[in-house]
Amino acid sequence: MTDSEKWSVWTLGVIALTTTAYFIFVALRGHGPATISVFALTALVAINKRSFRSVIGPRFDERESEIARKALLTSFRVMWLAVVAGFVITGHIKGWDTTLSLPMWKLAEIFWWLSMLMLAVQAGTTLLLYRRGNNA
Amino acid sequence: MPEGRPTIRNHIRRLRFESGELSQEELGKRCGVTRHTIMALEAGKYSPSLLLAFRIARAFGTGVEQVFEYGDIGNPGRPVS
Repeated sequence: MTDSEKWSVWTLGVIALTTTAYFIFVALRGHGPATISVFALTALVAINKRSFRSVIGPRFDERESEIARKALLTSFRVMWLAVVAGFVITGHIKGWDTTLSLPMWKLAEIFWWLSMLMLAVQAGTTLLLYRRGNNA
Repeated sequence: MPEGRPTIRNHIRRLRFESGELSQEELGKRCGVTRHTIMALEAGKYSPSLLLAFRIARAFGTGVEQVFEYGDIGNPGRPVS
């Protein structure tokens, strides 16, 4: 298993842990400003030295670079789609003339979920490309 | 017009065998890539860059066309014109 695959497995594990902790926290304490503290768990991604593999590790070879680039692009595409879908769905449900009033913690929560979505897609795409081949 | 998807096939496995069972690790070192990339190449999961293709050919002391073959999945063995 390459370093990128190990990073992907670790990252997906951290995301699963954070998501589980989030729902447990909401079930026990309710949905409020303190909820976003759970997202601090995503910092566990950074304690894995493979998160810095492209900076301090050995240079990627051409296939690894291509997979990393494709995975990153895919994650940005999915994030963009999620942002557009979020606006369109909210607009249709709330009405396009509605003024939204959003507490700061909810904005931060949306940011965290988007970050987790991007990480999950990046990690999932990386695993998929290594297993199926990046020409698949 | 060729049928099927064009692909690049290779003879790396055979050439490794003919080079005295040269390991994937060793071939990777000689070409500046990882063993995983050599495995992916042999499995047909990855088409190398021109630079890597030349490096692999040089590692075997042969020409690129003896290692790689531009073919057509729909018509194996038939080169794409």
